[in-house]
Amino acid sequence: MALINVAAREIHCKIVYYGPGMCGKTTNLQYIHESVSPDVKGDLLSIATETERTLFFDFLPLDLGKVRGFQTRFHLYTVPGQVLYERTRVAVLNGSDGVVFVADSQKDKLEENIKSLKELAMNVTRQNKKFQEFPIVLQYNKRDMPNALPVAVMDRYLNGMNWTRHEAIATTGVGVFDTLKSISRLVISKL
Amino acid sequence: MDPQLTSLIVPAEEAAQIEECLSHLVEDTGGNYALLLDKSGQVIVSQGDGIRQDITALGALIAGTFASSREVAKLLREKDFRMLFQQGVRENIFIALIEEQWILCVIFNKGTHIGLVKVLTKKATDELAAVLERVRQQHKSRDEVLGSSFRTSMEDTIDLLFKD
Repeated sequence: MALINVAAREIHCKIVYYGPGMCGKTTNLQYIHESVSPDVKGDLLSIATETERTLFFDFLPLDLGKVRGFQTRFHLYTVPGQVLYERTRVAVLNGSDGVVFVADSQKDKLEENIKSLKELAMNVTRQNKKFQEFPIVLQYNKRDMPNALPVAVMDRYLNGMNWTRHEAIATTGVGVFDTLKSISRLVISKL
Repeated sequence: MDPQLTSLIVPAEEAAQIEECLSHLVEDTGGNYALLLDKSGQVIVSQGDGIRQDITALGALIAGTFASSREVAKLLREKDFRMLFQQGVRENIFIALIEEQWILCVIFNKGTHIGLVKVLTKKATDELAAVLERVRQQHKSRDEVLGSSFRTSMEDTIDLLFKD
């Protein structure tokens, strides 16, 4: 749940990037960190292994400045995608206000995407939240890969809930900010 | 709407009580810093010597440590670990959970005895649990706090700032 501190006139929201291993969650955060104005971003904090795979989480605080007198902050997190780290994903998901589910568009990754989304549904429900009402935006990443599945096929398997979805190439930034805008608007609408 | 998705609104009066509680805790233990975090890692109130630039990252990491320890607890068939202690060469951190929602941390150096921190933190968590209960019972609507035009202004800001 978001936190509104009336005395300090601050609003905090937590957004988590979720998805299977190597789908591009960290790349999304890196692109945002490189591209937003220096007044908005804080340091990008990464707890990664020596091989640069996320071990615990990446964390990027964004300060949107004062909106109607309230200092508004979005905290972006990624979870480690590797199957092994399920309990860690539960830990990072704790207290989140919205999730970006990053799916890897490559044909041979469809099964991993489906499994990861099922796991997300289970983890959200375990935190006593209704999955149907939980703010989620889908991102179909790696659209530039030659073996990318058609969007309609991905929709059929991943978007039964009719979430807003964006096609993306996170390495070059295509769709990264569209995704961030969608999830931010959705989270704000549920405040 | 799902009650778990509604915002936690900390009114000015309760925020002042939290500040007072934290400042007593720092003073009485001789600690350097006290922080109250939401379980999501967001800093609600901080009190202590000077301004820490790293406070946002500190909040995220401490909440991460706590969330991770909860998963460890479950594997040991414990509900959770109520308290955590991290010992450094110069500074130490003592962390206590308040009602599954908030996390209280005290940062102190070797001049302060851990026993005292433990006892006084326990007392503070009881006080803060009562404050949390009052915060939860107040059902203020978002519009009451933020004003009805907040959402539109926020959307304009998002469009302005989140771009390549």
